[in-house]
Amino acid sequence: MSAPAMVGRREFLKTGAAVGGGLLVSLYVPVASASEGKAAVENQVALNAFVRIGADDSVTVISSHSEMGQGIYTSLPMLLNEELEADWSKVRVEAAPVDKAYNHPIWGIQGTGGSTTSPAEWERYRKMGALARTMLVTAAAQQWKVDAASCQVEKGVVVHRATGRRATYGSLANAAARLTPPAEVKLKDAKSFTLIGKPTRRLDTPSKTNGSAQFGLDVSLPGMLTAVVARPPVFGGKVAKVDASEALKVRGVKAVEQVESGVAVIA
Amino acid sequence: MTSFFVNGKPVHVDVDPSTPLLWVLRDSLGLTGTKFGCGMALCGACTVHLEGKAIRSCVAPVSRAEGKHVTTIEGLSADLTHPLQKAWIDLDVPQCGYCQSGQIMSAAVLLAEIPKPTDKDIDEAMGGNICRCGTYSRIRQAIHRAAELSGERRTR
Repeated sequence: MSAPAMVGRREFLKTGAAVGGGLLVSLYVPVASASEGKAAVENQVALNAFVRIGADDSVTVISSHSEMGQGIYTSLPMLLNEELEADWSKVRVEAAPVDKAYNHPIWGIQGTGGSTTSPAEWERYRKMGALARTMLVTAAAQQWKVDAASCQVEKGVVVHRATGRRATYGSLANAAARLTPPAEVKLKDAKSFTLIGKPTRRLDTPSKTNGSAQFGLDVSLPGMLTAVVARPPVFGGKVAKVDASEALKVRGVKAVEQVESGVAVIA
Repeated sequence: MTSFFVNGKPVHVDVDPSTPLLWVLRDSLGLTGTKFGCGMALCGACTVHLEGKAIRSCVAPVSRAEGKHVTTIEGLSADLTHPLQKAWIDLDVPQCGYCQSGQIMSAAVLLAEIPKPTDKDIDEAMGGNICRCGTYSRIRQAIHRAAELSGERRTR
């Protein structure tokens, strides 16, 4: 994590202001995102790298940053949905896979820290929501052969008042995904915000209340081993010598390695 | 072979009897809701119930559970309906969430023993559960709220 140290908060605010006007936006959908957790993405359509719409009208927002208790698993979906205008009760959140689409807008690498997530993503997540909404509205207008500008959005439903027609996001997602995203979208004025700035329940609380939230320690991969380091009892202590013979006799121990910070036992 | 019950189901594990219960739950049984914090019974992240009592599973050898009933956070309720879970959600207690399984399991034993705890009861019972985010004041509020919810349930 050397990048966060390079950008101080004051310096960040200056840089943020400079790049805020012209963010590069990733419109392609990374392969990893589409294939990860197959059951989870079944019957879901990605409209860009940051949002998937389910046939059941669920909205999955992909968080490019880590949730460490600071609340961004809720605030990033709020940013996106401010523009997407889906039914908030159907919005959920998922961690992004490793892919350059999810690089930090300022650091240029994938990372989280220094209180930068909300200011750095302030524009990108809203823009992603607006792009997705525009595509869903366009898909509905094409199906109904009406002008997209005459359609409105009400909580995840596209409505054409003049003819009384309605279509949910879930029913439009497939058609919307085949459209070319618009080059530009207009974002709302702050005074029209309905979600941003409103007290909102955290999306991650239920999973942190029944043990299902996944932390780094909970990840298990096929054939994965665990290394535990025995560290010196004093600062600056160095390994004098290592005799691994007894440790290697312990059931399950695969290797004992001297490392810079002590001795690693791998089992 | 050690045989005991986890969340009501019989389990049989073939591990060294001195293996801490925490690692049997997490690695052998895949119940990762119980967390490793310090490994020395100092932080409470690994708290589970053994025969209804709160224990630190990181220092409890699995042999201690032989023939007994263990309850983990996964066994508290199937659907987030335990009064503590409802209160935790009502008040948005967790931040990072790492300590919260242990917090809730300690609180569950407190409420079983003292249905209407005072602030002092809560502070005493929860003193061994550390939260680095500092959610203590919301934990205390949520325990009071859970006590109310349990009371409503009992009088109905």
